[in-house]
This record gives sequence, structure tokens and C-alpha cells, in this order.
Amino acid sequence: MTTWLIAAEGEGFVSPGPSTFVYPPIFGEGTFFTKPMLITVLGAAAVAVFFLLAARRATVVPGKLQYAGESAYGFVRNSIALDAIGKEGMKYVPYLATVFFFLAALNISGILPGLQFPATSRIALPAFLAIITCVIFNAIGIKRRGLFGYFKELMFPPGIPWPVYILLAPIEFVSTIIIRPLTLTLRLTFNMFAGHLVLVLFILGGEFLVFEKGGLVGIAAGSVALLGSIVLTFFEGFVQLLQAYVFTLLSALYIGGALADEH
Amino acid sequence: MPPDAEDDASKAFGRKGEADAYGALGLVVSGVLVWGGIGYLVSEWLDNRLFVMLGLLLGMGAGLYLVWFRYGRQQ
Repeated sequence: MTTWLIAAEGEGFVSPGPSTFVYPPIFGEGTFFTKPMLITVLGAAAVAVFFLLAARRATVVPGKLQYAGESAYGFVRNSIALDAIGKEGMKYVPYLATVFFFLAALNISGILPGLQFPATSRIALPAFLAIITCVIFNAIGIKRRGLFGYFKELMFPPGIPWPVYILLAPIEFVSTIIIRPLTLTLRLTFNMFAGHLVLVLFILGGEFLVFEKGGLVGIAAGSVALLGSIVLTFFEGFVQLLQAYVFTLLSALYIGGALADEH
Repeated sequence: MPPDAEDDASKAFGRKGEADAYGALGLVVSGVLVWGGIGYLVSEWLDNRLFVMLGLLLGMGAGLYLVWFRYGRQQ
């Protein structure tokens, strides 16, 4: 609030906007490798190394690292795959675990000192994962019931007089094939986008008030903003893990829906 | 971990509730998009803005009907 007022006076504070999410190439002009890409690679590598180390030399009585790895994997297996899909969900645990930990790593990079940018706030990453999920659950449905049977069940639920199908069939089709991956993408992207924007605003705004604006009011208001940014950082960490969980859970529920036999 | 049957059932119900909530939202949004879009195209074609409105209302109604049909009926 205070930062907005000061910024509105035009004292030289540039409030963060969509341009905050555009990074120049790390290695200078002409190259293509940017910070979000670096975070993506680091996140994937961190997850891979963690699970490889945890799974290496697995023993019956697990060591600390093996225990951490097994708990993490078990969380996805028990509270996402088995809960949302059922026994058949075991087959999809590897995919769901990969999605969850990849997203969690990329989301949480938004509050890691030094990185402090959630790579998932760039829409390409969530969109790509949502498309994979969309392909998987549609492929399962088509494999189970055949191309014709799948779309018949999807678009023509029994118990409706036939003229109404003209009205309803396109809605069912769009809601499953287009809206599902779209909402998966947008929910994750803009949670990360908004969270990062709020953090940047509080930190840069607070810094501007304390060090540039100065004065009793500036330092007091800036301190409140900076203290608030610490609280918000923890809150953002919570949102980041939650959104990785929600994305994975919905993927699992869609897969479960394609596996289930409708009555 | 000994499975607690009642706890499992309520958990599964909660998951299903979450999926249903997003599913219902998706149906209403799709209804408005599909029939609002068709209404828009028709109104461009016939040069009459009324069809956008009709399409939106029709889509919203159809979407809400689908929500009731999928999730709201007494099983």
C-alpha cells in the first residue's frame, strides 16, 4: 500500500511488472541461455541427483538419505497416486513423482537465495507438462474404450434426450480436451507469477523506501515492507509446494477418471 | 502403515470433491466459451449483436445443466 503511494508520486521507483520476468542471456548478446533455463536445468539435476543418491546402495535398514528419498517418493505414491487413482495408480507413480518433484524444485527456486525466480512462472514449462498429462489421460481412455467408445462416453452421457446432445456434446469435449490442460497451466503459472511479483514489489519497494526515499516515514514504511517480505517469503514457499501438489493431484485425478469405468 | 478404512474413505471423498469442484467450474466455463463463441460468430455473420448474448446465456444454462447432470443428481 505504502509503496504504491510513494511510487505514484513519481520519485523514481519503477514498480515491477511483466518485464520483471524477462531475463537477458547469461553469456551476453547472441546467446540464448537465460536464468529461467539455468534454474530449470539446476532443478532437474537437483531432483535427479537426490533420488539417485538416495536409491544407490539401498539397504533393508535405510540410511538417512535413503529414508528421505523413500519418504518423499512414498508421499507421492500414498497420498497422490493411491488416494486419487487406487490400486491401478501404482503404474503411474513414476510419472507423478517426476512431475511433483520437478515442479516443486522449480517452484521453490522462487525463494531460494541466489536464484529467487520461480522458473514455472514462465508459461512454457507448466504448459508442456499439462500437455503431457492431457496426452496421457486421453491415451488411457482411448486405449480402454477405443477411440469411438471414449468420445461417445465423454460427449454423450446416457440419460439425456438426443436433441440436447447438440447443446451439450461440444461443451463436454471442450471442458475435457481444452479446459483441463489450460486450467492446469494457468493455475500454476499465475500463482507463481503473482507470488514472484508480490515478493519483488515488497523487497524492491522496501529497499527504495529505506535507502532512496529515506526520512522518518520512508524508513518506517520501508521497514514494514521489508519485514512483510520475510513473512511473504515463507507464505510463498507454502504456495509453491501446494501448487506443485495440486498440479500433480489433478493429473492423478484425470488419469484416475480415464481409468475408471463409468456407469 | 495400517490403513484406517474410515479415514481412507473420507480422504478419497475429499479428493473426489476437489476434482468435482474443478470439473464443475470447467463445465460452466466451457459452456460459456463454446456457445458464446458460436454466438459471436453468428453475430458477426448476421451483423446482429443479440446472438452473442443469446449464445452466452445458452452456454451458461447448458453448462449449469451439465453440472447438475454430472454432480448434482441424487444417485
